[in-house]
Formats: sequence, structure tokens, C-alpha cells
Amino acid sequence: MAGTMTIKLVFSGGLELLFGNERNQSVLIPSFVPSDNSTHSSPSSSSSTSSSYNNTPSTGETKAADLEYLIYHLRDHLLKERSELFMENGTIRPGILVLINNTDWELEGEGSYQLRNNDEIVFISTLHGG
Amino acid sequence: MSSCGNPAVEEQPLMPRECFQSCPPLSHSLGAGRSKFGKSKDCVRCRLQPGNIVIRHAVYCKECFTPIVDMKFRKALEPSVNARAGTSKRPKLKASGNLCLGFSGGLGSSILLDMVHNTYFSNRPPLDDSGKPRGGSNHPRNASVWPSCIVCYVEVCGAFPGMQDKTEDIRSVVERYPSFDFVPLRIEDAFDESWWTKVSGSNSTPQVWLELSKEGLITDGLHVASKVTGLTPVEATRLYLSSLPTQTAISSALQNLTRVLILHTAHSGGSSHLLFGSSLTSLSISLLSAISQGGGYAIREELQEEWAPVAASGSKPSNVLRVIRPLRDVTAKECAVYSWWNNVSVIGRDKQRRAILGIAALTKNFVVGLEKDYPSTVSTIARTCEKLEPKDAPSGQCRLCKRPMQSAIQEWKGRISIRSYSDDKLAADLAHIPLPCRSNLDTNTPSQVPPLLALTDFLCYSCHTTLTSRSSRGVKQAAPGVSSVTPLPIWVGDRGLHRDGLMGGGARRKIPEQEMLDTVANFLIDKQDDEG
Repeated sequence: MAGTMTIKLVFSGGLELLFGNERNQSVLIPSFVPSDNSTHSSPSSSSSTSSSYNNTPSTGETKAADLEYLIYHLRDHLLKERSELFMENGTIRPGILVLINNTDWELEGEGSYQLRNNDEIVFISTLHGG
Repeated sequence: MSSCGNPAVEEQPLMPRECFQSCPPLSHSLGAGRSKFGKSKDCVRCRLQPGNIVIRHAVYCKECFTPIVDMKFRKALEPSVNARAGTSKRPKLKASGNLCLGFSGGLGSSILLDMVHNTYFSNRPPLDDSGKPRGGSNHPRNASVWPSCIVCYVEVCGAFPGMQDKTEDIRSVVERYPSFDFVPLRIEDAFDESWWTKVSGSNSTPQVWLELSKEGLITDGLHVASKVTGLTPVEATRLYLSSLPTQTAISSALQNLTRVLILHTAHSGGSSHLLFGSSLTSLSISLLSAISQGGGYAIREELQEEWAPVAASGSKPSNVLRVIRPLRDVTAKECAVYSWWNNVSVIGRDKQRRAILGIAALTKNFVVGLEKDYPSTVSTIARTCEKLEPKDAPSGQCRLCKRPMQSAIQEWKGRISIRSYSDDKLAADLAHIPLPCRSNLDTNTPSQVPPLLALTDFLCYSCHTTLTSRSSRGVKQAAPGVSSVTPLPIWVGDRGLHRDGLMGGGARRKIPEQEMLDTVANFLIDKQDDEG
């Protein structure tokens, strides 16, 4: 599909339980997305769960798809339950480590990292400690 | 911590972690907006590769990361391996007994399993046809630090109806390491006489029961009740947990039960070392949580301890078990990355749903959030606790948690709290206390209970608080037909609680002066009669 990218996702450390117990998934993300992270018109919106659907109307401004948008997209379209265990205050919940192509997202600009086709994003929960 | 004045967070009840993140003056002074690593994105160790991970503001590449974590692990463990320190800077490692690993299925213990195997058990020599190591038993490559290793897992599903039993999943993980022997335990073993007989060798330990109030909770006086029989270990476990006053107490009790089960199993199996996979993050959480629940006296034991069961008088002292947390310098983030890059699979631990409301869970929430922006703070918690030391020597070992017990706890509690409402003025204040709670207050008689029938002198402050501290939300109402007594773990009755004040083995406890006077009052000659 023109203007979209495939992003490979891996969930580990127990986080897969929130995403239907599937460790490895992939999503289609548009190359340009609303600046306010509205996920209303996302290519993957057909699999959304009604409880977490973001109905906020887009303001019209767009940006290159970044990791911040991907997190909203996952919450609105892939998460099966307990969104508060994945996202908090507009970003990933503390205790969840994010790797972009095997690199800490802190080295790649965190939420402002611009996604590229076939990027692999790994979400690892560190909350099942001990 | 004083309020920062930020209206967005002022309504937060307790632990306003968000204050750090959202308050501009405070976050500026603490540097929340600064970069999370140094100037360069290259690895600080090899300076050749671009970095892959940021650990406390230092950047490491994938190749340098794993050896660094391995080094932290060995540095935390190896100084405690040999029974005696010796004078050599790099002594040959040789433990005096076996190794025991406490395994929960969580991130830290999964990594611990992998590291211990790779470091100390992966180079076992192949066996010849007779089953002996090739090259002879004295060949240098056959020397091993520990002759064997057991992995203990405590299944807690017995405490919660409907919880899934994960023992077989855990077994499948441990079986990937052929050098390790799997020893599954169950939480209800704490109330099982047959388990206690196996680990202690004693088959005459009495089960201790406590009286319950009409709300179904353990009374403040910790009155020992008459013996009751007929409960299975699972029923006894659930009854014990349901008689605890708060969610915090339930979490704390489960942790204590798990720890003591593993301690006794390791000790009875001839282990000289017991390792837990607590990461720096988990350790900081447990330290803060323990202090919050009155466990400050045993804070050093939370970090590392040398433990042995209290021997009966006249019997040979037990061998000491060294309890070590070798991942105590490794953060949860490092553990997660290590597991990912080294393909260590993590089953995970079931969260107890009700524990979400307890102190431990709230502390975890706070510390994990703090670690995100201020990773050094988590390290500071552990380092500060390492410096703490109790002022006086312990007066014994707590019967419930098996940790050192502070002396004169009840006298101290008596000085800092109102124990009875016999004063008229104070009695009038009862009006503000909810009706269900008033019946717990003794308004006429002093709060002295017959010490021979109470457990108070045998418990540390933390355990006493766990059993009796009520929630500010009020006392739960017991269902009709609820039991009037609750069992305690089987090891509480070890060495007995005799009516004449003797503890097991003939050791005497200090009997208060008033009690002694009461006992002999009828036989005392009045001074006036004597002089007349």
C-alpha cells in the first residue's frame, strides 16, 4: 500500500499477555500521521478494540510517523486489555524497555524517532522482577 | 517531601512521584530535562562500536554489555564463596557445601539461573564409561566451586483459589540446565507437618494457633489458642492469609513464607550458599517496602545474611547458610536487555491481584517510575541501606520470619502508644471511632495479657505489625460461621511454647517482675507481720 510502512513488533517479559499472547506481530503504519497522534484513519484500524478507540478528530497537521505515534497506534488497535499497563501520561509506561533495531530508544530520541520501513521495535517489560 | 505547589499533582494521595517529573523548579534542579547519556553515542568501554544501550548515563555496545553484567555478578558473589576469606587476592574458589538457587520464574531469577550455569557448571567434564570424570577426580579441570546445585521454586497457587499452577512450566525451564536439580515446593508446605519433619528432623513440633476476633482477624494480643485439628495444609494456608488485616500483610506474609521455606530446604539439603535473583531495582523496592512495614532492624539481612536455624540447647550448632543476591548491582533494565540479547526465556510471575493495593506494590510503582528519569536514585537507596546497622545486638530470632529480633519491642510500643482507654477523658473520645472498631478496645482493664499464652515476645516488630496492624479503611466484617482461630506456620512451634515460660531446650525467657510477684504473692510474708 502506497505511503505505508511495515513495522515488526516483538513483545517480551510478560507484555505479550496484553497483546493476545502473541510475541511477534507486525503492523502497517502510514508514512505521515496526524501531529496529535490521532489513530482514527490508520491502515490497521479494522482490528481496533472499541474500548480503547481514539475518537479524537485530527487537527489536520501531519508529521512523519514516529515512535510516539506507534505507541498510540498499538494502544488503540492491538492492545487487548489494560491499556494503563502499557501506556502512561502519553508515553510508554515506566518499567517497559523499548529497543529500536536492537538499540535503546534513549539513543534514538525516544518518542521522536522517525520510523522506517521494516524497523523492528521490541517492547520488554521489566516489571516481573526477582 | 514538601509540596511543590503544582496543582496537577497536589491531589495525589501519597508518594507524589509525578512531582519530580512535572514540577519545573524541582525537575530543573534535579536535571530531568538533560540528556540521558554523555556527549558521545559510542561505547564507553571499547570506544570502537556505536552504543546499543544506555545504563545510568553510560553507553555500551552489545558486545561489551554482557561481560560487564557478568563481571558485576561475579564481583557480588565470589568474595562470599569461600568459608574463610584468606589472604590471597584471587583465591581458588571452593565452597563448603552445595548451592541452592531460589527461582520464581521472574526476570532476575531466570538470569541468575543462566549466569550460574554458564559461570560455574557449564564446563563439567564428560564422564567415562564408569561414570567418573575423565582425567581422574584430581584433574584440575574437574575442580568445581560447588559439587551440586538445587533450584527451589515455591508454587503459591494453593493460597489463591483459581490461580494456575506453574510448577511444570518452571520445571521445563530448569530442565534446560542439566546440572541443576529441581526441588518444587508449595506455599502450603508451611503448614504441613510432613514437610517440616523432612527438613528439620523433628516429628513432634506442635502447631501454634492464634485466637481471632469476631471480625475474623488476629487479635492485638496474639493469644495462643487451644490445639485445633482437621485442616489440610491448603485450608490452613488460606485461613491464615484470610485472617491477616491488610493487603500489605498478605503480600508480606507470602514473601516470608516463601523465603523461610527455601531457607529450610536449602539448609537441610547441605547447601552452603543460597542465591536469590533480586536485581538492584527489586532490592531497592524490597528495602523501602520493608522499612515501611517496620522491618528496619533486619535491613542488613534483606541485603545479605548468614543464616542458621536456632539449635536446641545442648545440640551441635548448625552450619551457616550464606544468603546472597548476586544481581544486587544490576538494574532491572540491564536484566531485561541481558535476557533479550542472550536468549534467556522468562516465564514471568503471576501478580496477586489484591497485592496491587499493598505497600510493596505502591513502592514498586514509585521506584520503577523514579528509575526511568533518575536511575542513580535507585542505586542510592540500596547503597544507603548498606550503611545502616542496628544499635544493639539482637535478642534472638523471630519465630515467624526467622530474622534477628530487636529486644524490648513491647516496652517500646507501650511507651509510644496508648494501650488502654481507662482514663475517663480518653474514654469520651471513643465517640469518633467507628462502631465496629470499638469492641476491639479494652476500656476497663489494662492491656496486659497473660504472657504465657501470647506470642508477642517471640516475634519481631515487623511480624507483629503484619499480624495486627489494622487498615485505616476499617475492619473487615467476618462472614457467618468464620473460624475463631487461625494456624501459624509450622516452624513457629519449633522448640515449643511452654506454659512455664520455658522455650525449647531448657532456655529460659526473662519473666517480668510483676508476673513473678503474682506467682508467689500468697507465700510472701508481710514485712509488718515480721517486725511485729
